[in-house]
Amino acid sequence: MAGQGQRLNVVPTVTTLGVVKARLAGATRGHALLKKKSDALTVQFRAILKRIVSDKDAMGDAMRAASLSLAEALYVAGAPLRHVVQQSVSGPARLRVRAHQDNIAGVRLPRFESYLADDAAGAAPSSATSLAGLAGGGQQVAACRAAHARALELLVELASLQTSFLTLDAAIKTTNRRVNALESVVKPRLENTIAYIRGELDEHEREEFFRLKKIQGYKQRELERQKEAAARYAEEKAAGEVALKRGVSMDTAASMLHNGDRDEDIIF
Amino acid sequence: MYGWEMLSFNIHDGFLEAIVRGNRSGLLTAADYNNLCQCETLDDIKMHLTATEYGPYLQNEPSPLHTTTIVEKCTLKLVDDYKHMLCQATEPLSTFLQYITYGHMIDNVVLIVTGTLHERDVNELLEKCHPLGMFDSIASLAVAQNMRELYRLVLVDTPLAPYFSECITSEDLDDMNVEIMRNTLYKAYLEDFYKFCQKLGGATAEIMCDLLSFEADRRAVNITINSIGTELTRDDRRKLYSNFGLLYPYGHEELAVCEDVDQVRGAMEKYPPYQSIFSRISYGESQMLDKAFYEEEVRRLCLSFEQQFHYAVFFAYIRLREQEIRNLMWISECVAQNQKNRVHDSVVFIF
Repeated sequence: MAGQGQRLNVVPTVTTLGVVKARLAGATRGHALLKKKSDALTVQFRAILKRIVSDKDAMGDAMRAASLSLAEALYVAGAPLRHVVQQSVSGPARLRVRAHQDNIAGVRLPRFESYLADDAAGAAPSSATSLAGLAGGGQQVAACRAAHARALELLVELASLQTSFLTLDAAIKTTNRRVNALESVVKPRLENTIAYIRGELDEHEREEFFRLKKIQGYKQRELERQKEAAARYAEEKAAGEVALKRGVSMDTAASMLHNGDRDEDIIF
Repeated sequence: MYGWEMLSFNIHDGFLEAIVRGNRSGLLTAADYNNLCQCETLDDIKMHLTATEYGPYLQNEPSPLHTTTIVEKCTLKLVDDYKHMLCQATEPLSTFLQYITYGHMIDNVVLIVTGTLHERDVNELLEKCHPLGMFDSIASLAVAQNMRELYRLVLVDTPLAPYFSECITSEDLDDMNVEIMRNTLYKAYLEDFYKFCQKLGGATAEIMCDLLSFEADRRAVNITINSIGTELTRDDRRKLYSNFGLLYPYGHEELAVCEDVDQVRGAMEKYPPYQSIFSRISYGESQMLDKAFYEEEVRRLCLSFEQQFHYAVFFAYIRLREQEIRNLMWISECVAQNQKNRVHDSVVFIF
């Protein structure tokens, strides 16, 4: 895995350890949050995908129905109907699209919505065209209009879903990249750093301990040596006092033993 | 004159009657329609049509065909037939033939007026006009700013003048609903045509009055059904009905107060010829009514060919061609949109 064995270039001290640990905690929390966001987005993404699929199916039917109803209207009302309707179009459209934003887990999704304009400018042509095909085919014209309005509504909804789909796709990719980066680069690196600092600190501790042990041993030995010296001195002192009592000093006594020739009888 | 036409009819009109009867045999038959309904693409339709009278009009069309192209070319065939007949015609047949096109002329005038109100380009509008309804001064319609000017400058020279002067009283074009204007004009046109046919007398009057009565009654029913739920008042509705026909005057009174389709049905079932049409349609449904009316119309038009020495065959021929073009449009639309199961819904077999 990427980042394996890497670590931050830090001085291995307890303070740094604290700092790095804090960063790791932060990274973990961030990772959890981002993961949650990514899951939420994915759920939304799936839902939108499902709706897109069903809408696209419905779209085909609606469009087919709409164009067939146009053919029906033309059949009954005659070909001039097309031109009459075209020529009587005026002013702003009645069916309009409004755009607004939805906020899903911090991602802004554009959303389109179709609505019928009710203002005076939009209402006027509706009454003018409602009499189209009066002498034949009026109902077909109305049916055709309804079918096309339905198709248009679906089209707007589909456009909205498609745009959301693309935006959400980009957002999910970014989030997932962040989650993965946190999971496989930042966190291992911090963990490695912590392990490294811990190791270094342990090493230090062991060194200290060994040094202490050494010093203690030295001190012990020194103490014993002094004790021994003191003991010997005390012994000598005691022997000197005995000799004095005898009237001979230790030295003289010794020299008395060694003076003169060597006695052959004495083996030792 | 009735009964004696055979003595003098052929002097002036025998040739043209022969021509129109020849043209009639060029109409597509049920076998043709069955073949057309089997087509998979528009090119197949074109291939089938090359074997018919439409062949020369479609053969030079480049391959990605559109429904509109087919309809356009077929209409061209009808226009050529009509012009050919008009050239040969003498009075009063030429007037009769011109009367047939006034309906399209009204449509064109209404189209230009609508377009002008919304400031469209006149040349663009002229391309969209029906070729049968063209007249010389049609382009100058666009200069008119109000009704009086429109009448004084342009329409006074056209055959439509009396309809306008009688029926349109509103001063300003903007205030008037274009559809109401169209239907008022059409009402006046039908009444005038009716009077003209009565004046001709004989078999022509007999057959044409029957056909026009049916047309007027059909319009009355359609206007009633289509104005249900709109802001058209009962009195306005009543004014759009033509003052002749089987329904006039008592049926009109009943239709004027109808509020839903079943009431229309109740009013219409008192008239035996229409009872059969409504009996084919289930209660509360009105979608299939148009087809039922078309079928009845085609039946009556076909019957007019059974008699000789009268002018109604010309009217019938033009109407049947128009129905045929509608059928072709429907078949092409269904084929183009891959809706083969709907093909038989609206095709009206002619012979």
